[in-house]
Amino acid sequence: MSCGLSAPEFRAATRRTLILRGGKTLFLLAFLFATQVLAQTTDRPVPILTGTAGYFNFVTAGQNQLDAQINPVVLLPLGDRWLVESRAEFEGAFQRPPGGGSYGGMVSKNLDYAQADYIADRFVTVTVGRFLTPFGIFNERLYPIWIRSLQQDPLILPLSAQSSDGMMLRGGFPANSRANFNYAAYVSAISTAHNNLQSNRDVGGRMGVFLPGPRIEFGGSWQKLLQNQRTNSFGFHFAWQPTRIPLNLHSEYARSNAGSGYWVDGAYRFSQVVFWQKAMRHLEFAARAEQFFNGQISPDEAEALGLPGANTREGEFGLNYYLRDGLKLVGSYGRQFSYAGNFNLWTTGIAYRFALPLGRVEQ
Amino acid sequence: MKSKVLGAIWLLALMSVIGVAATPPRTNTSTEPVVRNSAEAETMRLEGEKRFRANCGRCHAAPQKFPPRMMATILRHMRVRATITDEDMRLVLFYMTQ
Repeated sequence: MSCGLSAPEFRAATRRTLILRGGKTLFLLAFLFATQVLAQTTDRPVPILTGTAGYFNFVTAGQNQLDAQINPVVLLPLGDRWLVESRAEFEGAFQRPPGGGSYGGMVSKNLDYAQADYIADRFVTVTVGRFLTPFGIFNERLYPIWIRSLQQDPLILPLSAQSSDGMMLRGGFPANSRANFNYAAYVSAISTAHNNLQSNRDVGGRMGVFLPGPRIEFGGSWQKLLQNQRTNSFGFHFAWQPTRIPLNLHSEYARSNAGSGYWVDGAYRFSQVVFWQKAMRHLEFAARAEQFFNGQISPDEAEALGLPGANTREGEFGLNYYLRDGLKLVGSYGRQFSYAGNFNLWTTGIAYRFALPLGRVEQ
Repeated sequence: MKSKVLGAIWLLALMSVIGVAATPPRTNTSTEPVVRNSAEAETMRLEGEKRFRANCGRCHAAPQKFPPRMMATILRHMRVRATITDEDMRLVLFYMTQ
């Protein structure tokens, strides 16, 4: 009151100070508790910053595009059962304008997923947040540039490559000694608040069977849109890695009102070749055949979704050379055939996967 | 008063989450498999290699070995991403950290 405050003002100021001090004390207690927890868990998983970086030169119908990208992934394990994980995508695509001039273009930024996973038991993992929509296998598992055998996206990828904001249950467990069963089921809420966080209101899921003996995997996916349109989408996937030869086969089929199509992709590693073994075991031959059929939307709508505007066929093959684990040089040639015109696709570039611990890794 | 209540709820929620994450499970859910002798360790290593080739090869070429604490994180990520089974995860982790 000596500083000119009335009694109620003084009481209010005192309360604010106490709350502030209380808040600081609570934060300090929480911090100390968290520190204690971390101190007890030095043998536990360590947070990791991983991801991919790449530089590619795409020549599509004679038009050159320089593409530089970095896709960081943060993995933050908590205790025995939690994992918080996130992936962002920063991609710069630069082209010369029609008629010539210097290269220019946009740098796109995307949040692919930011999710918390709780491993409830050996059958169920609960995921909340923004996650990759579990439809087919390419979007969730084969998308990273260090994993995919050919850098061009499959034609039907826009039918399945989405992120969802909501909740998901998923898991994998042995059905018997010869087969593992895996599943994912999710609900997603509509999100239009931000360009990088968009999602549809829909439900869906995927089921699959993996046979570890012959290394065969197959399954199906389904999705139902719950907005003005109530359309269904479905798809099938198949993968096979023969045990006797270093071949990796993947395939997907997808169908929705926007279109349908399939791709079949094979990658053969020359590790069994009897000559120049030191170099040849790092070399991989990859090829893909694919087809897209128009759906019930206009060509303009299809192109806005990233789909071809007309029925399209494409064949592509290429070579990958693994300089070391996670670092490869890529080169490929493809040709696209459609009513809109036929053209060549050339790709050269380098893809790199990094992984850095965000803490002590010694036990 | 409202701020205090909200603060208390927030703190309780935070400590619950940390507590749940830090509480040792009743059953053996640790990622470290229990090994009794060297023969069993060798059997698990061989089985782990088999599972490693079958599971990891579903998507990508065999990766290098990372330090054990990194491998534990990577395997937890792959368990969720690739829906590999709990048993496969433990055996692959054992193989990759030997």
